Amino acid sequence: MSADGRHEGLAGTPPNPDAALSVRGLTKRFGSFTAVDGIDFDVPRGQIFGFLGPNGSGKTTTIRMLTGTSGPDAGQALVLGEDVINHPERVKQRFGYMSQKFALFEDMTVEENLRFYAGVYDLSPDRFARQREYVLTMADLHGRENELTANLSVGWRQRLALGTATIHEPELLFLDEPTGGVDPVARRQFWDLLYDLAGRGVTLFVTTHYMDEASHCTQLAFIYRGGLIAEGSPHDIRRDAITEQVIEVSVGDVDAALDWLEREPGVEEAYLSGARLHAVIDPAAAGAGTSGAGDPAAVVADYTGRLQRAGFADATLVTVEPTLEDVFVNLVARAQQP
Amino acid sequence: MIGDAQSRRRVRLLMWKEFLQLRRDPLLIRLLFVMPILQLVLFGYVVAADVKNLSTAVVDLDATSTSRALEAHFTASDYFNVTEHPSEDGVQQLMDTSRIAIAIVIPAGTQAALDRGETAPIGVVVDGSDSQVASVGSGYAAQVIARFNAERMANSGVVVAAPGIDARVRVMFNPTLAAVNTMIPGLVAAIVMISIMAVMGQAVVKERERGTLEQMFVTPIKPVEYLIGKVTPYALLATAQLLLVAGVGVFWFKVPFAGQISVVAAGLGLFMLTSIGLGLLISLVSHTRQQAQQLMMLLLLPSFVLSGFIFPIDSMPAAIQPLSWFIPLTWAIEILRGAFIKGSGFEALSTQFWVLGVFAVVIFGAAIAATRRRLAE
Ligand SMILES: Nc1ncnc2c1ncn2[C@@H]1O[C@H](COP(=O)(O)OP(=O)(O)O)[C@@H](O)[C@H]1O
Ligand SMILES: [Mg+2]
Repeated sequence: MSADGRHEGLAGTPPNPDAALSVRGLTKRFGSFTAVDGIDFDVPRGQIFGFLGPNGSGKTTTIRMLTGTSGPDAGQALVLGEDVINHPERVKQRFGYMSQKFALFEDMTVEENLRFYAGVYDLSPDRFARQREYVLTMADLHGRENELTANLSVGWRQRLALGTATIHEPELLFLDEPTGGVDPVARRQFWDLLYDLAGRGVTLFVTTHYMDEASHCTQLAFIYRGGLIAEGSPHDIRRDAITEQVIEVSVGDVDAALDWLEREPGVEEAYLSGARLHAVIDPAAAGAGTSGAGDPAAVVADYTGRLQRAGFADATLVTVEPTLEDVFVNLVARAQQP
Repeated sequence: MIGDAQSRRRVRLLMWKEFLQLRRDPLLIRLLFVMPILQLVLFGYVVAADVKNLSTAVVDLDATSTSRALEAHFTASDYFNVTEHPSEDGVQQLMDTSRIAIAIVIPAGTQAALDRGETAPIGVVVDGSDSQVASVGSGYAAQVIARFNAERMANSGVVVAAPGIDARVRVMFNPTLAAVNTMIPGLVAAIVMISIMAVMGQAVVKERERGTLEQMFVTPIKPVEYLIGKVTPYALLATAQLLLVAGVGVFWFKVPFAGQISVVAAGLGLFMLTSIGLGLLISLVSHTRQQAQQLMMLLLLPSFVLSGFIFPIDSMPAAIQPLSWFIPLTWAIEILRGAFIKGSGFEALSTQFWVLGVFAVVIFGAAIAATRRRLAE
């Protein structure tokens, strides 16, 4: 793995048939616009693979190529060892997909939706009875079987969609922003359901733009403007992607301090993180002219002094372990440099 | 492709789903059954179009200066366009194939009879399958002949007691000239176009807009299965509408049915394929239901106006008439009117069947090819 956390080793190698997902050089263009730009990654079986990126970065486009609904312009993709681009029908029975927006039939009842998808996957009556029971329990929909899904609230719909996507007990499940528009409590409950599935050996491919959900995953890939800018376990990414020091600043006048930090030499990035500020410091530039350049404690002392001289008397600084959000901001900033 | 049991099961499942959804849309169902009846009643009693430039045949068995002068009067009139000079036996054939709407038959001895001061009868044969053309056309023919008589008297300078030429009008097909008889075949074709192209096309767009289409296409459902599952319910719905309209037509308006069922079925079949193709093509290029609706109107309006469904094609400006050839509904209506009212068979309607067949193959084929690639994208 290189310094920016990217698997440069995969490009040009043949895809790995033993992985749950193996992608090489996958590319999708819309006219002259390249939505997904030659991405490479492997997802070993049994992982919770987080596919992270801001809105419009190409997550949904990637999933649609991996589920066989959209043909790529270049590249290869193996899903559960099968060539999903040329023979999607060979593997459709073995994966599930929960799309970004609620895609069950709103003018049909819970029961009718379940019956339809069970039939599509050709479940035997026994197996349908068992899976129906599982979904109704999991989604907490007992007693509401005959309600139109249009009348369900968001949380219920989400769990019903998850249940429907897994009614045929797939080995691999694609989830496209499954927690979009859901309150934090429901998001936690939903992740519990995902852990439950992972515990039963299902490989999960989850996209999200909530950085705090990244820590739920065992493996991550960051996509930005169609290209992968980092890949690895959360721990590896945190360790490798930022060699710079991240300082957390607690201060009364956050806005003014942010302005000041953005102009200060040696500060690569400064941004809000919760109620505090995070500043990414280039150790070489920061230490210039003082003794102990590169020593974290010295850097903190140096910037504490600078801030106080600039009028932020209440500023307290501390070196922090970079969060995934720090990593992401940093990687994006780097990707934006020419 | 659709042979194995799993495939058939999935198609049945898709049809079941479609009927469930249709049943939950009572407004649509009511609209689909009330609208054609309403239209039938409205058009059944309202006739108000200007008839012009009727394709006319002149059968001149007299071949004298008088008969040529009579023909010249028809040629000079805006209402008639003399395009054919068949033999007497050829008239039936021309009318069967809709190449003429009216024929003027001038018997041998017409000039001689007039010179003797006798009344000379001439035949005016009109095609009653378009009741407007027939009633208005025979009226104009009577006017042209009256003018001819008046001029002849003025020129001869003598006061003759005999009225000169006497037009004997014979209406072929639909002799009572009921507008509703003309309307029903057109309405049947229009129903197919609305129910299958517009309503089914909308259903596909709705499914794409909501994301349910994408969700179905990550499952083992194949595009063909989806299409059959989608089209069948709407084809059945259209058939139910057709039977309703035909029932009301036959039992309430007493419309006679002169034709062969097989000709009607073949014509409707080809037109259904065309309509399915148009509906699918529209749903592929539209991203929202609104866009689809606008495109449908863009197709439906000119189809209704230019196909002869509402206004007779013969009376449209000559420059516009060729446009009607590019409208599938034109040919479907000609086949249905021919079969319903004239009892025409495949032979008489072979041109119409060929053209409609080409439309069906090209449009349906293009739609299937495009759908297989792009339906879910
Ligand atoms: N069918 C399409 N036609 C044109 N552009 C598209 C299409 N689908 C997606 N895009 C564009 O591709 C980019 C990536 O979109 P998407 O994969 O949906 O992003 P994400 O899921 O990460 O939010 C966006 O800029 C989007 O506008
Ligand atoms: Mg998306």
